[in-house]
Amino acid sequence: MISLYRPGSSPLHRLPAGVKLVGLVVLSLTISIGARTPLLAGAAMALVFGAFALGGFGPVTWLKQLWLTRWLVVFVVVMQLIFLTPADAIVNTTRIIAVVLLASLLTLTTRTADLLDALQVALTPLRRVGVDPWRVGFTLTLAISLVPVVADFATRIRDAQRARGVRLGPRAVVPLLVMSLRHADDVGDALTARGLA
Amino acid sequence: MSERADVSSSRAIEFDGVSVELGGQPVLRDVSVRLDQSRIAVIGANGSGKSTFARLLNGLLAPTTGRVTVHGIDVYRDPRRIRERVGFVFTNPDAQILMPTVAEDVALSLRGSGLPKSEIAARVIAALERHGLGERADQPAYSLSGGQKQLLALISVLIREPAVVVADEPTTLLDLGNARRIGRLLLEDVGAQTVIVTHDLELAARCDVALRFADGRLVETGEPAQVIARYRAEHGDPVREDPAP
Repeated sequence: MISLYRPGSSPLHRLPAGVKLVGLVVLSLTISIGARTPLLAGAAMALVFGAFALGGFGPVTWLKQLWLTRWLVVFVVVMQLIFLTPADAIVNTTRIIAVVLLASLLTLTTRTADLLDALQVALTPLRRVGVDPWRVGFTLTLAISLVPVVADFATRIRDAQRARGVRLGPRAVVPLLVMSLRHADDVGDALTARGLA
Repeated sequence: MSERADVSSSRAIEFDGVSVELGGQPVLRDVSVRLDQSRIAVIGANGSGKSTFARLLNGLLAPTTGRVTVHGIDVYRDPRRIRERVGFVFTNPDAQILMPTVAEDVALSLRGSGLPKSEIAARVIAALERHGLGERADQPAYSLSGGQKQLLALISVLIREPAVVVADEPTTLLDLGNARRIGRLLLEDVGAQTVIVTHDLELAARCDVALRFADGRLVETGEPAQVIARYRAEHGDPVREDPAP
């Protein structure tokens, strides 16, 4: 569902989270702005595969990450093909895939807590305008943690529909919303109980 | 962080005329009790007020009338100190696990402890290894089994070394093996005053004192075997000589 940290001792694993975050931003901008021809887009992908290899991950890992983004890729390709030439559509989609894979490589090689710390440092200047960096970072982390929980709710609702031989269709969003809100209440209690609220 | 050291001097949980209303409905009625035993079981039917009683201990609920103190601290007036002192384990660990990986979730409990990062990491690994989750440290918490998740939730509470651990039906969602394991941990290894809300009468029987709730009232406090026997009899369940395993 969400690519999470995979323990390892590669050079990428050992690199500080802040350096990796800055690297991701720089590379993403470079690829987005610079890779405008099929050759350069191909070079960007080669760079991404090289980065995965540096992190100790082979084709299985990046293919898996690619598979997770398949619907995004399909959507982008279709939209681009409507408005652009096939060559431009492929170049643009390749650039997007390269950036998404780089972002997933960051989460594969960096503990969430380390990312949280790096984000806190980056947001520190905003303290002057009343922003609590830890709270911002923790909220993002909590959102990431809750994605599989909400996905599990969706699976349970689908199973319940099958078990009862009914199909709610788009109305299934109602029980999903109810379960999610109830869970949010429980998480609020847990935050309070752990002294974090 | 830990206030275990002075527990013995004022190791009492006190409810003084406590009532709670939720949405205009009374859910707890005029409860007064003083508890200084180590292991306290809270039993009763669904909706009898057990969980409300437990949630008052950590300040998750405020009394409508009356006063709750834990080891001399007013729960309502000093919630920060109470949350340092009282750990809470919920029925559903999914709601209690807040970070993506096992080690990160335990480490979150030590946030604000003032300990250096290396010390926090060492304590987290030691706690996980002590309870058999050491190899799972970097794995997604969501991928754990139900029993392991409840164990993780409990470790995340225990690493703060609370003086009181409150567990609200901690074994309800678990199979027999995991229920026994969590029960054993709560009753034998915690080292803190423990309040266990439970439908598991075998677990309740192993406590030092049992409280029975019915219809929002505390109807009985005493020796677990006797309280359980009357509870069983009231519900037409044959009374056993020895309810403990």
